[in-house]
Amino acid sequence: MQASRARLFKEYKEVQREKVADPDIQLVCDDSNIFKWTALIKGPSETPYDGGVFQLAFSVPEQYPLQPPQVRFLTKIFHPNVHFKTGEICLDILKNAWSPAWTLQSVCRAIIALMAHPEPDSPLNCDSGNLLRSGDIRGYQSMARMYTRLAAMPKKGELVFR
Amino acid sequence: MQNQDGHVVESGTETITSTKASEIEDWANFRDDDILQQQSAIQAEEAGKIPFVGDKEPLSSLAAEYKSGNPILVEKINVLTEQYAAIRRTRGDGNCFFRSFMFAYLEHILQTQDRAEVDRITANVEQCRKTLLSLGYAEFTFEDFFALFLEQLESVLSGTEASISHDELVQRSRDQSISDYVVMFFRFITSGEIRKRSEFFEPFVQGLTNTSVEQFCKSSVEPMGEESDHVHITALSDALGVPIRIVYLDRSCDDKGSVSVNHHDFTPAACQVTNANSCATQAAKPFINLLYRPGHYDILYPK
Repeated sequence: MQASRARLFKEYKEVQREKVADPDIQLVCDDSNIFKWTALIKGPSETPYDGGVFQLAFSVPEQYPLQPPQVRFLTKIFHPNVHFKTGEICLDILKNAWSPAWTLQSVCRAIIALMAHPEPDSPLNCDSGNLLRSGDIRGYQSMARMYTRLAAMPKKGELVFR
Repeated sequence: MQNQDGHVVESGTETITSTKASEIEDWANFRDDDILQQQSAIQAEEAGKIPFVGDKEPLSSLAAEYKSGNPILVEKINVLTEQYAAIRRTRGDGNCFFRSFMFAYLEHILQTQDRAEVDRITANVEQCRKTLLSLGYAEFTFEDFFALFLEQLESVLSGTEASISHDELVQRSRDQSISDYVVMFFRFITSGEIRKRSEFFEPFVQGLTNTSVEQFCKSSVEPMGEESDHVHITALSDALGVPIRIVYLDRSCDDKGSVSVNHHDFTPAACQVTNANSCATQAAKPFINLLYRPGHYDILYPK
């Protein structure tokens, strides 16, 4: 408990220092609880998530950093490795490949990388996974882009169907 | 796993959301987190059966275990008994090599009070810290683990305020908040050494898995619970400059069917190349003796 708190405090200081270095990630600690964090990440360019801003919720266990944080999308996203309803993320480093060498910040970077490189063979969102696996790249991209516009764009009013 | 293969997705429509909701309700609630939780519950149950580090037992307890087992193993245990007096078991949680090394090393220092060795390994640890920094690891991600190991090292030396007894060392090795941190410290050290000398380790890594050295470190060295192989042992021994003897207890025997117990000494690379003289005595007889049975390491005590 004490160890996890100390570690999170170091991460907090590091985040303050790195703010400028990583403009795609805005990681914020809950005012009253250092075990709760949220992050805003920018959808990577040249992906259907480009232009969107996605919110992540972090719940950090007491055994952190020996155990991984629990992370999920709060913003709706259409992606093979993100559960469409719960926002749960299928990413090895959040499960059995976790190590204390990762940080909340680098987890955000890994999630951005996952957005750009979906793994359709281990899908949490089978509809999305099946589109990619069947080679329907356009179908996947248009669905993903639609949800990015619906849910992840700062101004929702400009929704356009083409 | 069920999936929604039945659904034909027409891009651009919004219908999937609503139809999916009711159908997947029951299993949608069963998430990866639940699986992880169930897994750790099983682990916790197993944990109750054997501590991270067990009590010292006479080697006869090992013989009893194989009483009606494979005759080659029974014979090998007989041979072992000539050289070794006791065994200390560790929990088979994937960390057994590192955990065995931790206890065997700290116990050795506690019993020998070898300050020169402590100074030597402390210098190596400092070198490992620099290695990790040069590899791009953020210091705050590993410094707590380093500090905790150095603390344990300090505490097994007598005459300091922090000095501990042998009983206390056993207790600490069973205390997850200390034991796991030291194991993780060794994982960092091992990973740093492998990545620093990735050209040397690459063929060995290739022999184990099909991945790059970096990927191997990320998936098979750094995560807790990942089992150790000769690559890990070589790297840890090299990085810390501590020779390790692994005694193999398996069913192998030669053509004539005569039985001998093989062992392999991992001698730190630095000892072989430079100042061979100072290491010569050390290299000849490693003070860390581990018993390897396929898939598991325990600590052995020579007579």
